[in-house]
Amino acid sequence: MKRPADSPGTGAAATGTAATPRRGWMSLRRQLLLSLLGAVLGVFLLGSLATYQLTRSELDEIMDYHLRQLALSLRAPMYGPQQEPGLGPDDQLFDMVIQVWDEQGLRLYLSRPHTALPDRAQLGYATVPTAEGDWRTYSIVLGTRVIQVAQPMSHRNRLAAAAALRTLTPLLVILPLLAGLIWYLVGRGLRPLERLARAVGTRRPDSLAPLAAAGVPDEAQPLVHALNGLLGRLDQAMSAQRAFVADAAHELRTPLAALQLQLQLTERAVTEDERRSALADLRLGLQRATRVVQQLLTLARQAPDAETSSGLADAADTDLAELAALVIAEMQPLAEAKSMDLGADRLDPATAPGNREALRTLLGNLVDNAIRYTPAGGRIDVSVWQDDTHAWLEVADNGPGVPPAERERVLDRFYRRAGQDQPGSGLGLAIVKAIADRHHARLVLDAAPAGGLRVRVALPRTAWRDVVAAEDTSGNKPPPQP
Amino acid sequence: MRLLLIEDDPMIGAAVQRGLRQEGYALDWVRDGSAGLLALTTPAAGGEAPYDLLLLDLGLPGKDGLTVLGELRAAGNPLPVLVLTARDAVAERIRGLDAGADDYLVKPFDLDELAARVRALLRRRAGRPEPVVRQAGIVVDAASHAVSVDGEPVKLSAREFALLQALLEQPGKPLSRAQLEERLYGWGEEVESNAVEVHIHGLRRKLGTERIRNVRGVGWFVPREA
Repeated sequence: MKRPADSPGTGAAATGTAATPRRGWMSLRRQLLLSLLGAVLGVFLLGSLATYQLTRSELDEIMDYHLRQLALSLRAPMYGPQQEPGLGPDDQLFDMVIQVWDEQGLRLYLSRPHTALPDRAQLGYATVPTAEGDWRTYSIVLGTRVIQVAQPMSHRNRLAAAAALRTLTPLLVILPLLAGLIWYLVGRGLRPLERLARAVGTRRPDSLAPLAAAGVPDEAQPLVHALNGLLGRLDQAMSAQRAFVADAAHELRTPLAALQLQLQLTERAVTEDERRSALADLRLGLQRATRVVQQLLTLARQAPDAETSSGLADAADTDLAELAALVIAEMQPLAEAKSMDLGADRLDPATAPGNREALRTLLGNLVDNAIRYTPAGGRIDVSVWQDDTHAWLEVADNGPGVPPAERERVLDRFYRRAGQDQPGSGLGLAIVKAIADRHHARLVLDAAPAGGLRVRVALPRTAWRDVVAAEDTSGNKPPPQP
Repeated sequence: MRLLLIEDDPMIGAAVQRGLRQEGYALDWVRDGSAGLLALTTPAAGGEAPYDLLLLDLGLPGKDGLTVLGELRAAGNPLPVLVLTARDAVAERIRGLDAGADDYLVKPFDLDELAARVRALLRRRAGRPEPVVRQAGIVVDAASHAVSVDGEPVKLSAREFALLQALLEQPGKPLSRAQLEERLYGWGEEVESNAVEVHIHGLRRKLGTERIRNVRGVGWFVPREA
């Protein structure tokens, strides 16, 4: 099978001519043609055979009748006892042999010499085997004579076959005509499919408009509908992707602008102190840019973009208490750098289906967020527990918190609260939300008892099928019990 | 020359501040639109306008940059405004310029280009389109910071250069010490109490005493060419 052209979307080059699928055994046209022509041929053959046989037997009857007529017509006793055969002027008699005997069995007449026919007769019709092949005879007693007319079967057969074949001639002429007609009609019938295939094939890769359903035969309608559904979903997914990429590119400008300026300041630096200071700023700028890019990649990997009911590829039961302990340990150095107290408030056993790495990123981002936006010397508590329906993750800090009005917006991509001195990408909580969505989990942001921000994640413990079914019918997620 | 920068990103703001201060400008930096508007409407010493130019980022928290610009222009403030932003689409540029901006620079931008555009806007404001200033035998090229007196090149420190530029803005018009300090130093910069006198002294030494005249109790000026 030919491969389609490798380079995507080079305008006019990427048209339907790139890959014409070879007509394989699955070809509808080939199947139709073969079966139809085969059926027609079969019927024709049967018909021809039947016609042939019928014609033959008809001819046989006629020839037998002929024999009898001839025999009857010879009853006139116009010949006497002679051994020498006479030659009849009628050419037709040439292949027939006439024998006449009297009542004593004495042959009175033999129309042709050197015949292999036996010198006796069976009355009525008979087929007599001789050294020259079979002969068809008819013998009759007329008055005192026995008259026999005989004709070689080979000749009869030849005549009969020739006549029968002649009756078939019109059929043989018709057959190719019929084949041609079938070929044309099948082609025409399949043309809407070819039109459809061309319409899809000449589509530009960025054109996801639905296919026209008008003028498409009923049998192809379901296919067209399904294709249009797919195109719609693709369009959605691609739009979401485009929006994400545009957002990301825009957001990268700020860290890059800072890097540009910091580099130029480094170039301008004259004294060693200036240079050192400028390079330190440059390093921080680079760290920030790197971080933004990493966060973008993480976010891109999480976002399913269109259907969230597809869920995660490999969701296994995850031990959340153990995961939380791990994340707390990993984040210790960051917390210590700001003299913060990062620890677990309550780590009850809790399991829920999920992707371990994704959940680790989720927890990590929540703790990182808390460390970043809580002043030095603050305290961050991580908790894990479960109830009948959900497993809960919680991160609470005693920082300034987030006012209720902003709690929704803070989960948006690239949203950063006013007056932030801390360098950040604005993506941390967006990533948390994306991962929570993929796990069909619910996010709750409210005020911590200590005054800062408290983020809770409710992971369903039941099979996601049921959660998705409940989501689909009601349109909202079923609220978890707090 | 005193500039105001309204920019919320800490790294970009710090870098622009440092870079433009190196060029000899006094630069104040605020993080949001409301603080910026407040700074713009607070008059400086002597009742003058506090700033010669505004560098405005559009993507600000709270009050958006375009809103700030709109309010500024609606109040009839003719201050030159250079917009700095990541929004690069043509439609956005048109919007910014039509809202009252005098120039539009897209992030990431080159620091030297920023400085050049600032100079261009300041020249236009001073009604002096020619980039090289000649006055009383002094020739000053603002772009290269090259100064010559009667044909002889003279080397000036950044502060001295800024001081000379301030004096050459309006030759014949004396500027007080307070006014000169405003033009030379931004918020948070350390100013020794006699810094201005020290720099005036340095300038007189390099340019010639008669080129910078003092009016007792009023200030200093560069005399106009006769």
